[in-house]
Amino acid sequence: MADIPVQTLHRDPQLFYWILIPITIVMVQTGVLRHYASVLLQTAPKKQDAPAMREQRSLGRGVALRSNYHSLSKKSFESRRDYLISAYENGDFLKEPEKKGQPPANPMSDPGAMDGMMGMMKNNMAMMIPNTLIMSWINAFFSGYVTMKLPFPLTIKFKSMLQAGVQTKDMDPRWMSSISWYFLCIFGLQFVYVFLLGNDNAASQLNQQMQAQQMPNPMMGGPGQDPDKQFKAEAENLAVVDHYSVLDDVEGRLLASLKKA
Amino acid sequence: MSIERENQIHPIVTESTLSNLYSLTSSLFGVTAGILGLESYNGFLLYLVLSVITTIFVYVVKVLPESLSEGRSIGDTERFFKGALQFWSGGLASGMPGFVLTWTLFYGLVRV
Repeated sequence: MADIPVQTLHRDPQLFYWILIPITIVMVQTGVLRHYASVLLQTAPKKQDAPAMREQRSLGRGVALRSNYHSLSKKSFESRRDYLISAYENGDFLKEPEKKGQPPANPMSDPGAMDGMMGMMKNNMAMMIPNTLIMSWINAFFSGYVTMKLPFPLTIKFKSMLQAGVQTKDMDPRWMSSISWYFLCIFGLQFVYVFLLGNDNAASQLNQQMQAQQMPNPMMGGPGQDPDKQFKAEAENLAVVDHYSVLDDVEGRLLASLKKA
Repeated sequence: MSIERENQIHPIVTESTLSNLYSLTSSLFGVTAGILGLESYNGFLLYLVLSVITTIFVYVVKVLPESLSEGRSIGDTERFFKGALQFWSGGLASGMPGFVLTWTLFYGLVRV
């Protein structure tokens, strides 16, 4: 390969003061703001009447039994399972037993259901609005500047991403514009948030997306679903659990560990 | 024995404290690499070497005394961690973005 001469650009040192530092400060502050916004926007759970609470909690009890059965002995697991399945199928826990079999009410008309949706909306808003605002802010004020050089080489494909708004054909893709500094900040500022806000902060949007993926069913027992059908499904799930206990064969493991030591 | 069952019998210790350490130290490594003016592979190599040195410190200061008092041999991390590989390479990926950020920043600041 022929040696390509290293491109040098003389950049105004003022670029740092007027582009890099403002973007970095704004990014850090949005993260901090997002953390406190998500703390403040959390609504306290609304007080429900006893039958509604019982309906929700008893469904949760079935789920808890299904996911923690390994810490129960076979006998106690089976007695719990038999009780829950028969109660689920009879509809003992239903809030309104006489309404069994009827289609659920429209969730929009139920004020309690609206609350849950508003909570999710608020969280999504806290993530979406700052992103769009900052993106358009950077695009409006800082596009077209070459600010920095990456310390590692990149292939030509990155050019369109890193040098958006800079129309210079032969420039090395290592030169980056202000928008790519923004992207670096999105991914790399985690350590600043850890330093400022502690470990379980809500500042980084990457973290929030990961948490959203870990919760596959946030609407459990939520509005717009027929509770009777949920109970029937949970009864079926419980019925097919293949039980074992962590204490099965524990004496064998203990003896083996003693023999090893 | 299935993996699920294995995890129920031996619950995994969370690595949150270690990942905190890595995200903080990796940014300092980025400052180092930027001030030294390292480019491409040299920078990543520095990151790798310094991360391994950090892990060795953690091992010697925190893990080794407990392991030895439990009668384990030197180099055995099973007292707190699932496997040796997880202990030695666990923080590399999580610290990488912070490293690249500070590396770029200080590289740019030093060589205007």
